[in-house]
Amino acid sequence: MECNATREGANLFIAVDGRVDGTNASEFQEALEGVIEESDRLVVLDLGALSYVSSAGLRVVLLVAKELQRQSAKLAVCSLSDTVKEVFTISGFDKIIPVHGTRQEALEAS
Amino acid sequence: MTARLEITMETREEELQRLASAVDRLAADDGWPESLAFKVNLILEELALNVIRYGHDEEGLHEVDIRIVSRADGLTIEMTDDGRPFDPLTDAAAPDLDASVEDRRIGGLGIHLTRSMTSEMRYRREDGKNCLTLTLARGE
Repeated sequence: MECNATREGANLFIAVDGRVDGTNASEFQEALEGVIEESDRLVVLDLGALSYVSSAGLRVVLLVAKELQRQSAKLAVCSLSDTVKEVFTISGFDKIIPVHGTRQEALEAS
Repeated sequence: MTARLEITMETREEELQRLASAVDRLAADDGWPESLAFKVNLILEELALNVIRYGHDEEGLHEVDIRIVSRADGLTIEMTDDGRPFDPLTDAAAPDLDASVEDRRIGGLGIHLTRSMTSEMRYRREDGKNCLTLTLARGE
């Protein structure tokens, strides 16, 4: 798993590449928390290259969503594969975290 | 044509990678769609991790037996462990899918995902072991 962050003003895009499972979810959490700053207003997780995620990875996404809400910032996700989208939907995450087709759509919706 | 995988793993988290590699090989050999391999990996990870983390009170390694049989019409997964009695059909609290970000409880999703992704799930306790049989349609 690899996270690559790009910051444009107060918008932070984080591209997640590879697998997030029970064995590396804590690394995923550290990677996200390490790159998010208090001045960020919008954080978009670009999951286009996420090949696999289990509940351990979803747990981290929810933790980050909670933290961002405390600093009055927004979390969104974009570019989900069909199966990742299905995992999000089954988990009810699509009701609490906006899901967009592209980074641009996530930006325009915020 | 029938393809199968039988694997015995120890109750330590490093074993999950070996399990995932074995499933990926079976998926490639048997021509599964990517989504099916994803789901089988997810189901096995969620269930195995539960046994590894919560299955036993005492220290020490235990074994989990996993058998996957793939036929033209679908897949059967059997999983057996000697952990404390745990019936995923009745012993897991359902997550509150309608809660807000603040109120949404962390965790509890693994069993929910597993149940949602299987077309049938049967549990029995036999000879001091949890025996779980799951069925997935090939297109799922």
